[in-house]
Amino acid sequence: MAAAPENVPSFIAAQLSHLLAHFRLTLKVDQMWSADKYNSGPFDRFSLLIPYCLDFIRWDVIFDAESPNAAPDVIFGPEDDNFHPFHMPPSPESNNNCLSDWNYKDPSCLLTLIQFLRDQYVLYQRKRVEEVDDERLKFEISTILSREGIEMYTGSNAEKLEEVKFAVPLLDMNINNMVSCCPWRYSQKIYLQVVYPVGRKYTSVPSAPRLKLVSSPELKAVFSIDDVKLPSWVDGMCLAEYLPNLEEYLGKQVLEAVSLIEVRRQFIEALASPFGRPIEADPIFCRKATFLCASGVFTFLVHFMIPSQFPKQQPAVMLQSSQHFNSQMAPLKSRLISDYPWSPRWEPLQMAERICEFLADEALNFKRQCSEGQVQ
Amino acid sequence: MDDPPLQKIAISGPTLASLIQRFSTSPSAIRGLLFGHVTHLPTTPSDDSPSTVPTLLATVTGFLCSPSFHESSGDVIPSALHPHSSVLGWFSARRRSALRPSMRDFSVTSSLSSLSKFSTSIDNSNLNLKSNSPEQPSLFPPCVFLLLASPPFDNASSSHVHTHEYRAFQFRTGAQWFEPRSLDVVNIGPAFRGHYGAFIPTSSLPALDRGLCGSPMDDGGDERLARMKQAANDQRELDGCVEGFEVGKLSRMVGSDARSYTEGLEELYKKMLVKIQNLTSLVDESSAMVLEQENHNRKLKHKIFRSAAASE
Repeated sequence: MAAAPENVPSFIAAQLSHLLAHFRLTLKVDQMWSADKYNSGPFDRFSLLIPYCLDFIRWDVIFDAESPNAAPDVIFGPEDDNFHPFHMPPSPESNNNCLSDWNYKDPSCLLTLIQFLRDQYVLYQRKRVEEVDDERLKFEISTILSREGIEMYTGSNAEKLEEVKFAVPLLDMNINNMVSCCPWRYSQKIYLQVVYPVGRKYTSVPSAPRLKLVSSPELKAVFSIDDVKLPSWVDGMCLAEYLPNLEEYLGKQVLEAVSLIEVRRQFIEALASPFGRPIEADPIFCRKATFLCASGVFTFLVHFMIPSQFPKQQPAVMLQSSQHFNSQMAPLKSRLISDYPWSPRWEPLQMAERICEFLADEALNFKRQCSEGQVQ
Repeated sequence: MDDPPLQKIAISGPTLASLIQRFSTSPSAIRGLLFGHVTHLPTTPSDDSPSTVPTLLATVTGFLCSPSFHESSGDVIPSALHPHSSVLGWFSARRRSALRPSMRDFSVTSSLSSLSKFSTSIDNSNLNLKSNSPEQPSLFPPCVFLLLASPPFDNASSSHVHTHEYRAFQFRTGAQWFEPRSLDVVNIGPAFRGHYGAFIPTSSLPALDRGLCGSPMDDGGDERLARMKQAANDQRELDGCVEGFEVGKLSRMVGSDARSYTEGLEELYKKMLVKIQNLTSLVDESSAMVLEQENHNRKLKHKIFRSAAASE
């Protein structure tokens, strides 16, 4: 799982790979190093990047290669010197167990520890945000706290504090379940990032927060949040008023985007009638298909890149010669073509036939360009 | 009640040097206890704002590496400390890590500083008590924390310069946080004359069992006899150390008579040198033995873990 270097002691490698494989979020190991100055000893310490509030927090996990049965130590970020996960006031089940019951033979120990620490971190940040002296913020927290999974973040310095960040998970729908044969390991979520300016007491009306939609990059295959136009924030509005409209609107968009997968599938199937069976196609999101074509003796591949907004946006087409190669022995390719005749109102079969007609001419152009060395 | 705030923490140059030496030669992280005393700094009486600036100074005079005085959860095991000792605090030295208190550093410090029975008594003797000043606290809890680290990513990693950084904190038990304190390294030189002026030549000797007071006719006579013999041996060894330095002889070396005793003084120095040389070679030999034993232990430990890993 983890690309652990060879000189990681096995008792650490086992803990780490279990952690990376089973944590509910995507963790990253930023760096691994040894206690030795020349880095020649066993690698027993590493930096962990943990997603939090649409950003990452960086914690150093310090094992000791000399005492494998000792629990690791953790050094938190420089801003979090008040974060003491095992000494937080409301601790119903004081979870010292994962440290005192540390067993180096049980590879799930580190996972338990990091999970506990992150949960405590969520509470710690929430408490800090609640302590920020800002009327509007206090009101917002009181009205949206019932929503599950909200994460908050505030910088360290109370005097220089200028903003507080919220990450609000949107839509109570499981997008993974809506896509058949879904390949995603982690549950896809769309978040609204809300950044409140705070501490500006001289303004009478609190200014609008900065809003931004965030999703994991994988979701782009179906639905691009960049295409969403956020409803505008009216002065004096609060988040509890804003969210229902946004969620309703976004929910429709996601449903439509998922339904478009089927439209793209029909289009690829329609392409098969003039072009023959595709030699390669994306069967899940139907965003790509490649066909083998011939014009006389000139054989070439046609790549279709189908946008998520299909059929409103037409597919981009690229030709790739099977007979012409550049000096690095890579096959010659045409530019991305997306300016051919198109109407979203055509039937899939008509779309396929019109593209085929267009390509019949374009293939000759491309062949000539290949022989004259005009393309790369 | 919150513990009294320190103005700063001082450590003698040799103590810090030996701590760093221990740190840099140890195969892994080390931690242990700090010993010393707490005194009042001389105050300038001209100031009319009384007792707002803390005047306490904690001086670290010694340390003891002890890997096992706390649990892995960070809870200090009181039985692992000497029951009647006073502890100033503890230190943690870990290589190639950030110079910030870690999760464990916090837990251990929090646990240790709550153990008031290991408090150090504050020397209030040289304090000119004003009549209206509040009663001075007499005990100082073990709340000093000294953190040593080397930078995680040294730019000049190929160089042979080894950087060691350190920071000192006083842990405030009320607010539960580390308050950074400046660490004065007391060295020889004009800048530190003040320190030597106020130097008190006392140190707590190891608690030797003076079993001589009891009657030998008590029960368990054999055991008692053995202990008496041991005590007598210990006393003999101690006497051997001070041979030739009897107090009476020393007192003649100062004051107006001293001029006529230069010869005696030279002889004394010679004896001292020989003794120091002997001590050095003894320390050298025992260090070598300790190192050998440590290496042996490490090998055994690795063997155990290898066999444990293989049997899984």
